[in-house]
Amino acid sequence: MFITIAQARVRMSEQTARAVADLDVVVDCDAHVTEHQDDLLPYLDEPFASALATDVDDSYGYISSFYPSAGFLTPVNTGKAEGKSVRSSAEVREGMALLDTNRVVLTPTQNLYLGCVQHPELAAALGHAYNEWLLDTMLDPDEGLYGACVVAPQRPAAAAAEIDDRADEDGICAVFLPSGGVTPLLGKRQYDPIYEAAERADLPVMMHNAAGTMLLSFPNLFQGFDRYLSSHAPVHAMQHMAHLSSMLTKGTPERFDIDFIIQEAGIGWIPYFTRRFDHEYRAKREDAPMLEKLPSEYVSDQFYFTSQPVEGTGDPDYVASMVELMGPESLLFSSDYPHLDFDHSADLFRVLRSRLGETAARNVYGETALEVFGF
Amino acid sequence: MFRLNEEFCALANHCVHQGGPVCEGQVSGTLAPDGEGGLCYEREGEVVSCPWHGWEFDVRTGEALADRNYRQPTYEVVVEDGTVYVEA
Repeated sequence: MFITIAQARVRMSEQTARAVADLDVVVDCDAHVTEHQDDLLPYLDEPFASALATDVDDSYGYISSFYPSAGFLTPVNTGKAEGKSVRSSAEVREGMALLDTNRVVLTPTQNLYLGCVQHPELAAALGHAYNEWLLDTMLDPDEGLYGACVVAPQRPAAAAAEIDDRADEDGICAVFLPSGGVTPLLGKRQYDPIYEAAERADLPVMMHNAAGTMLLSFPNLFQGFDRYLSSHAPVHAMQHMAHLSSMLTKGTPERFDIDFIIQEAGIGWIPYFTRRFDHEYRAKREDAPMLEKLPSEYVSDQFYFTSQPVEGTGDPDYVASMVELMGPESLLFSSDYPHLDFDHSADLFRVLRSRLGETAARNVYGETALEVFGF
Repeated sequence: MFRLNEEFCALANHCVHQGGPVCEGQVSGTLAPDGEGGLCYEREGEVVSCPWHGWEFDVRTGEALADRNYRQPTYEVVVEDGTVYVEA
């Protein structure tokens, strides 16, 4: 029996990609750095550089007190999970070697909380300082180290200027909107300058919450979410559903030709949300008159979802079903390394390769990201 | 049956969504973007909403405004000597 060269290539590639390490392209779409006060202070602009140039011996690390958080007792606090540091490009590479990735989109840790900083001018300055630090010490596209430009939603005009300034920098591949606790929700017109700038820069917008911020805007409910587990497990998806609902209702994806990347909420809520939203939109279309197609079609065309934390990997049937229902073309592999709930790259790969096939696995692990981030 | 000035249209009264009595619902217009970031009200008299779930249909074409994959069956209407006939 004869086969064509193309068929032979397919068969060979199927044989060679048995594990993540066999793939040519593996993009981690959520690899965190852990910026500390000492990293950011040297890059802070005036007037805050002078205002914060204090020699007060503050062992608390006073910068972190500007970032409101619910203050959960976490396994890192109790020493049961490692609070690993990623404050240099060498430490980024250690993580890449551990996870068999060859490109990363670097995202912040402290600045996950930026969207809740009370002082708007300070928030903008902290985002700016983070980007300076990232560009100066971390990003190196030749080595696969890319990063997202962090902006403060409290000051949309300053955020737009920040995006304009960073758009052409080597290694900046996205805008990072710290979305946890951000109020009002991100479909409001006041955020349009941010989306306009992202559209001008042809950069996707990453939306990422933090466990400590999400419930700051839901004070009554928050009283019931008094554990790290009870908050972290459901609220990432709740917060994203709130923002997504706002953006779809206000027509944000209709009005802006940009991609959005929704992070850190798992996968099972996505097929639920899109179906429920379509279902209700059919009866409540007047609440979203900007839309010219079904909400799920906007999600499918303009929204991507990073994989971590994949729930249910012990049940491959569940994971494969959810990925099929959400659409494997919308899924981007991410690790969340070095945070305590990070996913190793091997788990999801096994499920995808065995249940959805090699092409779907390759796409999720990097080929789709190449297009979304324009590497 | 609906009358739009001198024009007549007829729709099936069994909603394609879940079988509600669609033609017994309100006939109205609908909210739409005004092109300047705000909203306007348009198509007055051209939209019927099923009273069960509020699905909006174009009374002329039967199309669901939110999702053109759904369309309420329509019937041809003929007017002869002042009498209105529905072809079914």
